Amino acid sequence: MLKSESIIFNYNGGAKFSFPDIQLEAGGSLLVLGDSGIGKTTFIQILAGLLKAKSGKIELDNTNYNKLSSKEMDQFRGKYIGMIFQKPHFVRNLNILENLLLSLYLSEKKQDKKRVIQLLKEIGLGDKLESMPNELSQGEQQRVAIALAVIKKPDLILADEPTSSLDDANCQKIITLLKEQANKTKSKLIIITHDSRIKSQFNKSITL
Amino acid sequence: MNIRRLAWRNIIYNPFTTTLSILLMTFGVGVISLLLLLNNQIDKQLQNNLRGIDMVIGAKGSPLQLILSSVYHIDNPTGNISFKEVDKLTKNSMIDFTIPLSYGDSYNGFRIVGTTSQYPKLYEANLNEGNLWIRSMEVVIGSMVAEITDLKIGDKFCGTHGLGEDGHLHDNHYYEVVGILKQSNSVIDKLIITDIKSVWEVHNPKIEKNETHLCTHHDHNSHQEDKCSDKIDTDELYMSDVFMITSMLVGFKSPMGFVQLPRKINETTNLQAAMPVFEINRLTNLLGFGVQTINLIALIIILVSGLSIFISLYNSLKKRRYELALIRVHGATKWQLIKLVFLEGLTLSFLGTSFGLLISRLILFFTSFLVNQKQMLDSFELGLIIDELWLVLIALFIGLIASLIPAILTYKINIPKILSNA
Repeated sequence: MLKSESIIFNYNGGAKFSFPDIQLEAGGSLLVLGDSGIGKTTFIQILAGLLKAKSGKIELDNTNYNKLSSKEMDQFRGKYIGMIFQKPHFVRNLNILENLLLSLYLSEKKQDKKRVIQLLKEIGLGDKLESMPNELSQGEQQRVAIALAVIKKPDLILADEPTSSLDDANCQKIITLLKEQANKTKSKLIIITHDSRIKSQFNKSITL
Repeated sequence: MNIRRLAWRNIIYNPFTTTLSILLMTFGVGVISLLLLLNNQIDKQLQNNLRGIDMVIGAKGSPLQLILSSVYHIDNPTGNISFKEVDKLTKNSMIDFTIPLSYGDSYNGFRIVGTTSQYPKLYEANLNEGNLWIRSMEVVIGSMVAEITDLKIGDKFCGTHGLGEDGHLHDNHYYEVVGILKQSNSVIDKLIITDIKSVWEVHNPKIEKNETHLCTHHDHNSHQEDKCSDKIDTDELYMSDVFMITSMLVGFKSPMGFVQLPRKINETTNLQAAMPVFEINRLTNLLGFGVQTINLIALIIILVSGLSIFISLYNSLKKRRYELALIRVHGATKWQLIKLVFLEGLTLSFLGTSFGLLISRLILFFTSFLVNQKQMLDSFELGLIIDELWLVLIALFIGLIASLIPAILTYKINIPKILSNA
């Protein structure tokens, strides 16, 4: 269960944001819509525990973010939250397989090579294990980014504009994949986007 | 996959900057290590050859020259002195031992030194084959002489006047090899030693006139030589005014000798007394200046290498800002990222340092090999010497300092900002 209550955030001497309360059950998904500049990325970073809200409360499976030290928050995020960004990023000196193993290492999970290979097969990249990240196409990179987020079976997947730089075909693939993988791991899925192409695919959405 | 392997990957996937950093470190550490090894070796050799020789008496001239020629056999002798006169001076209760030396000839570049049986004893040089000389014109050769000249027991040869290879040949006096010494890693390894009378005999025209026998290449007979040495009465010869030697090595019984004897000899006679310890200190101080200059240059190279490590870490950090943020998002703590940066910097400096230490040894190995100084090689310490331990610490410390600023920047990395600006 993810709960956020009366989150208020303001940048140092700058814009002030207040965000709507959300509640999400295990396996549920939520689309957060809004135009640029409205604080979508800020919201997702607060939900990820990367930014600290000025006031309000966030709880993920009974863990209150406010009660964690910054180190504990890093470790908590590593273990329970998977993030996907608008542009996929990787550790450039590691190949795809190693990038995924690193994600497992950092979230203190078993580095199960078989499971990594299985997942890469599922997303259609079974033959790219040894490829370096920059050798993949944009669509492939975004698929690996999803794999990076879900490999550790997180409780919560946060995706920030995952489709905005993709063409229609790839956009469809990515959304399907995200929903599939989130389902499999019973993860809560929050997608933040202004991409109208994916609105119809989710039945629960809020607008900022 | 872990932080250590990631650091290693980052190092090997940046071959150019990595090579530059390591190369600079290797070069700086290599030069200093080479100097340290050589210095250590020279010091050891200088000390090793002293063997309780507290004072050398010789003809007036440069004291350093007297020490270099009489103790280390690397300079020309200062001149001749009368044995009788030195002997008088050294009949003193403060004196432990005296060893007369007489030299000036050589064979194939190896010095022929006339002395007493005490001289090999001083260097603890044991015989490998044969025995010490019994009669004059019999010689014992050092291990290196044996190896290079291929002289064997029973071989006969003529000395060359002077210490170079192209002097006048004393082709009427043949020396005979009767013994070969074991390697002792001291100066005696490259000497041909014989009875002091032999050298005198070769150079004294009186004896030549008295001698009816001249040794020639075809008609050589050691029995006749025996007769020639028998003709001279040893004690009488030693105490005659004509018996000259090159120098006298002296060991003191008590430290009082240092205070009194050299001054007495230098002030009241026309002989010179020099103290090896004092002269060697003077020499190493002189050399020390050059060594220090080179050390300083090499240290600067190490610093530049530190700078290169800093720049490469700093640059890659700038390039990898997003990557580092990503690693943090994946759950890495700040300390894990700092560990990553320090591991990269320290690995570079560690590799550079190791290669440097290795290369200095390889250079020594190949140069000793090239100049055919097997003996030099045998006496080198290939393990770490204490000064090098310091060198390693300094180099690693510089690697640490070079990583410090990048590490601090990594610690302060602002993840939300980097992620939003991507």
